[in-house]
Amino acid sequence: MRFSLILSQLGQGMGRTVTIFLLTLIFSLPLGLLVAFGRMSKNRIISRLTKIYISIMRGTPLMLQLMVVYFGPFYLFGLNIGNWRFPAIIVGFSLNYAAYFAEIYRSGIESMPVGQYEAARLLGYSKMQTFFRIILPQVIKRILPAVTNEIITLVKDTSLAFSIAYAEMFTIAKQIAAAQTTMIPFVAAAVFYYVFNVLVAWIMERIEKKFAYYR
Amino acid sequence: MKKKLICGMMTAAMTAVLLAGCGNDASGTSASSGASAASDTTVSESASDVSASSETVGDSAEPVTFTVGFDAEYPPYGYMDEDTGEYTGFDLELAEAVCDLYGWQLVKTPINWDSKDMELNSGSIDCIWNGFTINGREDDYTWSDPYVDNSQVMVVSESSGINTLSDLAGKNVGVQAASAALELLQSEEEGGQKALADTFAVLQQFPDYNNAFVELQAGSIDAVAMDIGVAKYQLKTRGEGFKILDESLNSEQYAIGFKKGNTELCEKVNEGLQQLLADGTFEELAEKYEIADMVCLEAK
Repeated sequence: MRFSLILSQLGQGMGRTVTIFLLTLIFSLPLGLLVAFGRMSKNRIISRLTKIYISIMRGTPLMLQLMVVYFGPFYLFGLNIGNWRFPAIIVGFSLNYAAYFAEIYRSGIESMPVGQYEAARLLGYSKMQTFFRIILPQVIKRILPAVTNEIITLVKDTSLAFSIAYAEMFTIAKQIAAAQTTMIPFVAAAVFYYVFNVLVAWIMERIEKKFAYYR
Repeated sequence: MKKKLICGMMTAAMTAVLLAGCGNDASGTSASSGASAASDTTVSESASDVSASSETVGDSAEPVTFTVGFDAEYPPYGYMDEDTGEYTGFDLELAEAVCDLYGWQLVKTPINWDSKDMELNSGSIDCIWNGFTINGREDDYTWSDPYVDNSQVMVVSESSGINTLSDLAGKNVGVQAASAALELLQSEEEGGQKALADTFAVLQQFPDYNNAFVELQAGSIDAVAMDIGVAKYQLKTRGEGFKILDESLNSEQYAIGFKKGNTELCEKVNEGLQQLLADGTFEELAEKYEIADMVCLEAK
């Protein structure tokens, strides 16, 4: 196979990898905040439930979760899962990553000194105003490095999508390697991942700088 | 100002979500309308086709699409073509030919071989058509007529000094996970090779043959058990340095596996294979993939 063809094949796979990556971020980042609120809720039942949710999502392999999300509807309810493959991947990844993001958000939110809440109340801020105008901006600043870690892990985790037969980049690299009986496609795949992650890290660094307005 | 920034970001995120939602919807509609357009002999027919396709993934009579599950790392039966990057191989071209006969649309779905049963039972794929060994799985699927005579063989490196199966005692042997070769080496029934496997130092499972061959080359394993067709392809593309032991582990047959009970679709494909055998297409494909001496489809 010509090298350019390997690249174009991998490029297509990269497109799928990036799609999984972006959609997962779009859904899991806000969902994670919700889960974090649930986890810190004063309502015992809600905080218990979210605690169990986080525990399961972090305590079982993502590969297994993807299989449950994809095959579950058929095995549990006998539903037709014809076009469910891609949505199942996004749902599986988002649910899993939301659990991790939730704990990162919580670490940020709980690190804020109580004095800030007291001061805000004295100044007449409502609870909502306090959170969105005072707490959240500082939280985002603090958790960015941890979020970057998680996002970079997500890029590499996309290769798990093949556990439910979605051919993203790494799968395609394996298929080319099998047909060609060489290892070159893996080298190319490594370069693709690395370049993409360098880009992600660079963007996150820019965002961090943007938020470093007190320095 | 910071508030504005945050508001802006949130708005952006929400818009993105909305757009993504719309995008999905749009592509969904266009895909289905595309499908109906593809089969548009008459308007009424295409309408019935669409309603059929939404139900046929399971086991109804005439699916518009025919979804074949295969391991895309299994040349020469199913793999990615060198020049076009499309999935091809003996089995996939044969499936394409059957689909052409009936006017079905072939969907090639590369699956994770470990979860092939889940894919089939849940209706994600209509059949497993990929050098799929009947022996040892007779009761698990509804099988088409066998079309390839296969045997499981051992591949060793030429310099290893291993010439017979008994030389393998105390050696490290590799095999693909969930493969027929593995089942054979674990089977205690008549014709099984559990006794042989017990003489190995280690029976190492691999996800794919590429890995196995690299380990064979590197010397960390001494032999790999695999289907003879696959072994021939590997030896041809890798050149010197390997050999297939003359003694084979067994002889067995390939057929197309359908979900247990899906005889209707199975019969239809059988009929198609007979037609292809009669008009010479079957033989032609076998020649093309250099397995002409192994095919065994019998005319009825």
